[in-house]
Amino acid sequence: MRIEKCYFCSGPVYPGHGMMFVRNDCKVFRFCKSKCHKNFKKKRNPRKTRWTKAFRKASGKELTVDNSLEFEKRRNTPVKYRRELWGKTVEAMKKVEEIKRKRQSRFIMNRLKKGKQLEKTEAINEVKKNIHLIKAPHAGKAKQMEDKMVQKLAEDVEMDGAD
Amino acid sequence: MALYNFKKIMVVPTSKEFIDITLSKTQRKTPTVIHKHYQIHRIRHFYMRKVKFTQQNYHDRLSQILTDFPKLDDIHPFYADLMNVLYDKDHYKLALGQINIAKNLIDNVSKDYVRLMKYGDSLYRCKQLKRAALGRMCTIMKRQKQSLEYLEQVRQHLSRLPTIDPNTRTLLLCGYPNVGKSSFINKVTRADVEVQPYAFTTKSLFVGHMDYKYLRWQVVDTPGILDHPLEERNTIEMQAITALAHLRSAVLYVMDLSEQCGHTLKQQLELFNNIRPLFANKPLLVVANKCDIKKISELTEEDKKIFADLTAEDIPVIETSTLTEEGVMMVKTEACDKLLAARVDSKMKGKKVHDVLNRLHLAMPAKRDDKPRPPFIPEGAKVGRKTMEVDAPKRKTERDLEMEMGDDYVLDLQKYWDLMNQDEKHDVIPEIWEGHNIADYIDPEIMKVKEELKVKDEEMQEIRQLAKQIREKRKMKIVCSKEKDVHGPRMPRTVKKVERKTLEKEMGGLGLDMTGKDAVSRFSFSSHYAVNARRSRSVTVLKKRKREASVAPTSRTRSQSASRPPRDQSGVRDPKMAKKAKKLMKSQQKDMNRQGKKGEADRHVFDLKPKHLFSGKRKSGTNDHR
Repeated sequence: MRIEKCYFCSGPVYPGHGMMFVRNDCKVFRFCKSKCHKNFKKKRNPRKTRWTKAFRKASGKELTVDNSLEFEKRRNTPVKYRRELWGKTVEAMKKVEEIKRKRQSRFIMNRLKKGKQLEKTEAINEVKKNIHLIKAPHAGKAKQMEDKMVQKLAEDVEMDGAD
Repeated sequence: MALYNFKKIMVVPTSKEFIDITLSKTQRKTPTVIHKHYQIHRIRHFYMRKVKFTQQNYHDRLSQILTDFPKLDDIHPFYADLMNVLYDKDHYKLALGQINIAKNLIDNVSKDYVRLMKYGDSLYRCKQLKRAALGRMCTIMKRQKQSLEYLEQVRQHLSRLPTIDPNTRTLLLCGYPNVGKSSFINKVTRADVEVQPYAFTTKSLFVGHMDYKYLRWQVVDTPGILDHPLEERNTIEMQAITALAHLRSAVLYVMDLSEQCGHTLKQQLELFNNIRPLFANKPLLVVANKCDIKKISELTEEDKKIFADLTAEDIPVIETSTLTEEGVMMVKTEACDKLLAARVDSKMKGKKVHDVLNRLHLAMPAKRDDKPRPPFIPEGAKVGRKTMEVDAPKRKTERDLEMEMGDDYVLDLQKYWDLMNQDEKHDVIPEIWEGHNIADYIDPEIMKVKEELKVKDEEMQEIRQLAKQIREKRKMKIVCSKEKDVHGPRMPRTVKKVERKTLEKEMGGLGLDMTGKDAVSRFSFSSHYAVNARRSRSVTVLKKRKREASVAPTSRTRSQSASRPPRDQSGVRDPKMAKKAKKLMKSQQKDMNRQGKKGEADRHVFDLKPKHLFSGKRKSGTNDHR
């Protein structure tokens, strides 16, 4: 019993679901639902069909290269059953899933951060150009200048005093 | 080699069927529409075609029958003899001959009638000729009814004959009825021949196959033979005789020690001596069966002598019991060895051997040192060899277990699994977890974990807040300015008077400190503007009083000290932009100039083709006026 991957949308095909098509060159295509099957028959490229995982990975919208993704891989040599190995594998699997999920969501967050970056620059520009709508350009400058003059006078006084 | 073609003979139809088939075929496959008024050659052709078609069909089918059925002269003499025994050679040949004659007759009929049809002068005549032709052909076939029936029966029986290869290694079982030949073949091969207590249970030849020394062996079971001369033998016995006569095999003469078959040992010996001539050149073995009931040692002296004689003549006598399987393997190995030896001998004496021998060369490596280097035979092979030769007990199969346990039996294939830990055999193995296949994760080195960090940015928050405020203020301003009702001409801001209170409020909102008098006097806009306004007014008054020849003001007057730049210089940063602005201006004017417009507000439509100048007759005038 295996959960296969749909050729078109890369979704899971549970046993008892979907369709399998075998071409004359012996290549096997599995589909999870008739939507994917019909799209395939229309010769649509999954890498260009926006709702598929293949598109998302090919256009960099989702995490593609990561070592947490290397754990789940179809190995063609069967391993003899060993209780402790299976137990450890299940534990590790859970952890890896956790990490994978976090990393994937982080990747997407980072991607959306670009938008935040743009917003940031826009805000800075806005502030630079139109700060006069809220604050006068030399607000507080009078006070500043006064303070400065006072300081200077104080210094002069000091210097005179020193002399 | 006509061995396997017996199954491929086409069905021979009965005469009635044959006629029906052919006639309906003619009707379907030839054109059916013909009219009186057609041209005569067309009518003739139409009917000739029908006759020829029917003839063709009959001819084809009959030829096929004739070629399909084996010619007794062409096949192996064993099969020829067997067929003779079963179907009578003469009858067979006659039947086929009749078919051949029928075929020729039909051909002749067709030829004649086609010739006659050439002279048919009307549709009716041609049609009658065709009817006659077809009728005659069908009558000929009707007469073949018996032959066809007989041939069909022969075909059915022939296809059910066992496929005995006359040239390969064969063991032939013969003896009285009920001695245990069929039981023997059941034990030694996978054949399942009927075994019953009455005589002549086996009524024809049966073949079983077995393996020995990596070769395939045929074991042929025959019906029992009784002791009477050849002429009096019936068909069943004759089959056995044929097999004995033609198959080049090892012969196992089976005897019944306990005499349960109904014949004494003496009678059996008699039979043996009678068919002795048939055993010439064949490796012979005597199988003393049913030894579980009576052994040779328990026999009388006379009977013992029989066997002693046989052994003296170099014919091995082996005691067996097909019930307890004692001695069966021994018989098998003996017989096979003997036959192999005989075959090898005959091959060596033949001519073909030299070709093969020339190509064979057994290389013996020269000894390097005194170390013995025996051939390595793995344990499993040794065990396997032993089981082949000796009657070793087979391992207990699941079937045996099932028989033992009856209803309690449960098929548990997991108990045969070869795992590292034998007590894990009956574990339920998980395969799927949360949409993932566990098998995809199994890797003996799977112990790795990783941590992540999160980054937060607080600085940005401030800037975002300010930007938000700015946007809001802007929107407010836009809304306010839209709401303003403007009556009358728009006056410049410099003329307007600004109240001190509003100024204070605004500047306070923007964060400037308006409390000090100095601040107000220095940096307030109203005083600044007021001063300038006063200044501008004073200049013009002065000028009016003096009434001197005033110099034209070359530079901008102080009234314009607010520096209102001329229109084509306002908002222009650098000469490049000025150039561009000028270009835009010119490009806009281009269109207007082309159309001869006075300006952008000129919307006059010229009447270039006034009707009165283009219509009507020109009596005595010019085109300027008609």
